[in-house]
Amino acid sequence: MTILVDVDHIDKIYPLKTGGEYVALRNVDLKINQGEFVSLIGHSGCGKSTLLNIIAGFEQASIGGVVLSGKQITSPGPDRMMVFQNYSLLPWLTVRQNIALAVDKVMTDLPAAERKDIIEKHIDLVGLRAAADKRPGALSGGMKQRTAIARALAIRPKVLLLDEPFGALDALTRGNLQEQLMQICEEYKTTCVMVTHDVDEALLLSDRVVMLTNGPEAHIGRILNVDFPRPRKRMEVVNDPTYYPNRGEIINFLNQQKRDKRRKARKVSEEKTSIPAVTAVKTVEKSVVTLGYVPTTDAAPLVVAKEKGFFAKHGLTQVELIPDSSWQTIADGLANQRLDCAQLLAGMPLAMSIGADRKRPTPIVTAMVLARNGNAITLSKKLYDDGVRNLKDLKKAIAATPDQPHSFGLVDSVSMGSLLTRYWLASGGIDPDRDLSLSIMSSAEMKNQISKGFIDGYLASEPWNSAAVKDETGFVVATDLEIWDGHQNKVLGVREDWAQENPKTHVALVKALIEACEYCDDRRNREEIIKMLAKPEYLNLPAEQLRPGFIDPFQRSLDQAPEMLVRFNQYYVEQSTCPRRAEALWILTQMARWNITPFPKNWTEVLERVYCRDTYGQAARELGLPDSVDDHESVKLFDGLVFNPDDPMSYLASLKISHEIRVEEIVFEEAPAPRSLRSKSLAA
Amino acid sequence: MATASARPANPIVEKATEILQSLIAPVVCSSAVLLVWQLLCSSADSKMPGPIKVITQTIGTITGGFAENGIWMQLLNSLTRVGMGYVGAAVLGIAIGVAIGVNKFLRDGFDPLIQILRTVPPLAWLPLSTILFLQTPKPAENAGIFLIFITAIWPIIINTCVGVQQIPKDYTNVAKVLRLSGKDFFFSILIPSTVPYIFTGLRIGVGLAWLAIVAAEMLSTGAGGIGAYIWNEYTSMLDDSISKIILAVFSVGLVGLVLDRFVGWLGSLVVAE
Repeated sequence: MTILVDVDHIDKIYPLKTGGEYVALRNVDLKINQGEFVSLIGHSGCGKSTLLNIIAGFEQASIGGVVLSGKQITSPGPDRMMVFQNYSLLPWLTVRQNIALAVDKVMTDLPAAERKDIIEKHIDLVGLRAAADKRPGALSGGMKQRTAIARALAIRPKVLLLDEPFGALDALTRGNLQEQLMQICEEYKTTCVMVTHDVDEALLLSDRVVMLTNGPEAHIGRILNVDFPRPRKRMEVVNDPTYYPNRGEIINFLNQQKRDKRRKARKVSEEKTSIPAVTAVKTVEKSVVTLGYVPTTDAAPLVVAKEKGFFAKHGLTQVELIPDSSWQTIADGLANQRLDCAQLLAGMPLAMSIGADRKRPTPIVTAMVLARNGNAITLSKKLYDDGVRNLKDLKKAIAATPDQPHSFGLVDSVSMGSLLTRYWLASGGIDPDRDLSLSIMSSAEMKNQISKGFIDGYLASEPWNSAAVKDETGFVVATDLEIWDGHQNKVLGVREDWAQENPKTHVALVKALIEACEYCDDRRNREEIIKMLAKPEYLNLPAEQLRPGFIDPFQRSLDQAPEMLVRFNQYYVEQSTCPRRAEALWILTQMARWNITPFPKNWTEVLERVYCRDTYGQAARELGLPDSVDDHESVKLFDGLVFNPDDPMSYLASLKISHEIRVEEIVFEEAPAPRSLRSKSLAA
Repeated sequence: MATASARPANPIVEKATEILQSLIAPVVCSSAVLLVWQLLCSSADSKMPGPIKVITQTIGTITGGFAENGIWMQLLNSLTRVGMGYVGAAVLGIAIGVAIGVNKFLRDGFDPLIQILRTVPPLAWLPLSTILFLQTPKPAENAGIFLIFITAIWPIIINTCVGVQQIPKDYTNVAKVLRLSGKDFFFSILIPSTVPYIFTGLRIGVGLAWLAIVAAEMLSTGAGGIGAYIWNEYTSMLDDSISKIILAVFSVGLVGLVLDRFVGWLGSLVVAE
């Protein structure tokens, strides 16, 4: 299929009279294929009509643009004929004259007789022969709309744009017209983009339903593929077994957005009461920030930001880095406000927000990824001596000794490493919860236990894999580069209420850390970084231990030659720092798969809220970097399974080894009001 | 069907009854006015003639109205003059209205001037226009025509201008999508959609013009017309002068009504819906 319309990462920004700006659309990216019928759906004010108008050329995108078969759209034109919401017929012309005006003015190179044929043909096409000589004033709403459709189709547009075309019609007329439109579109293979608020209409007509989130900064929240066979008949479509599930998905999305709208409205009204206190400050709200972390090489950006003065550069003069040995302590510190922000394992913001392990949920937002990759799976020397070299051998070895307990060490149940290890094991036919016993322990403890033969393997970041190799107590069976190259590993997390209270500090923090990440990815700086990391106040380890993978080639076992893994520690390249929602959604599916959390029925809402792209976007823009990525791109892992972020439910259903999936609506409790507001309301 | 055939309804009869019924109220009320008028003027020493006297005294004037300087000829004279001034005002007024409606600079520039001039009472123009046309062959005639022109043009300009600005966005969007050329836009969209506004202006204009002409003709000498006719009767003050004046005044009103309705009817022909 060829792409006909390419809506290329557009922003639509309106300047406000008060001096600010209103971002109506943010980073909308949509490719529409030749002959495809796409519906745009969302609540009023979500910018769906704005998007249509930009495609039509009535409005221009502020950033990005729309390309129609290779040419950028800068003004309206007959190749993108619009069927307007209120028909837009000229009242002084008859039906025939209205169609003729379009045909005569657009198809000027055709002889008059041919044009006349086209006009008459399209009058018949929409069944208006009897009313051809009537003026719009004498027509019913349905007839007017048919005239408008005939006028639009008659000039053979490349794309037919429909702006709530049937909104003003009664149900019966609407049904008839929908079927008529569908027939015509199928017959002529017309590419259509329709704005609608009618879920059934969208499902009946579309190949894809594009769901937009609420403004400001509206973007594509989800895309639903509608696969009912064509030609479609209303009754057949409604009786399709997937009709109601699909319908439920859209309604569910719209409900989430409604809730989100209410929440935003409440936030705005709260902000209004405290404008001078919060928004008038030009500089950061807090210059003293406590930042918790667990000392590994993934902490490099934090250490660099402090040591190289990136924090200070962005006004954060006193950032206190607080090391902690366990992720649990970090999570508790964040929840009980001991820490302002923290380096977290990739799954933690979601798990904490949803409330994994029957913990009280703490809404956490993450605005950037601090490190990608950097993990490896180490197996014991004993397995190596038994000839285990890969996943297949491991499965065989485990199957051969069913009477023996096999155990694995993990740092946390929701670390990306843990989820990847489980995924890796499961794809090899090993059920991580039945065939193995998994235990949570610190990385140092893992190395200790494997040497004693208490565990058969573990997943850890460096230096804990190389150390086992060097001590000849284990070998690396896989690095995470081989499982999912470029996955997020550590992220920055803050409490949602903290983020709301200190928006500028948050942005400054992200900016400083993005710059630090850039510094970390430059290999010329790595020697210097190793020295910083090795310092007693940070990792307190000999620099030698930190080198493998980070600078030096990575050695999997003593028998193998060390191998250079350039991306083993990835901080910045390929927009590493952007908190990708597709990855987050994958994490949600895996947490549900292993029964760590239920899968949120309202996952779009959860992702929108936890993966705080507004803050990232603002920081990136202020640094002159791209502010967004494609959240709908599919991910393919090492086993060839494709994860489509627009359809997590069928992905979950396709996973062989899995717990029963619980799907629940996750309603976050409201973050407590910021302290400044609370004192104010008390005073009042 | 059975009842319908039992009492056949004749459409002509029905229509006629309808018209007759609608006439009842005006006839009753007008008769009442005439009656009061007659009663008020029935005393012997009343200077004012009653309606009966008016009719008896002006029968001759009515029938002989088409003779030279007869009342109908004078009325026609005034109408011709109004026609010339008014057509000029319409043509120029629509052109100017479209120009300033389309162009923001012209609109902003001329708006204050138009707003001031449109409130000038017609007769205030008379001395100026008389002086202006003093050197022409028929100064009084031309001055009258100019007066009509300058009186009628303002509402036409203003309404046309508003009409152009009020072209619904729907129509301009259609023009944009179809990429209509300037000429096509002008004739296919701008003019048709402005027509209702133009006719509103034309209708106000014709009313003002007719108001102005009578007064102008009364004041200017040697121009003739219905205004002059009234003035002459007033100055000569013969026995039947008052009756003739009453007849003339009534005719002026009647013609004004006809003019207004005529322009309205023209508009309804052109404007859709």
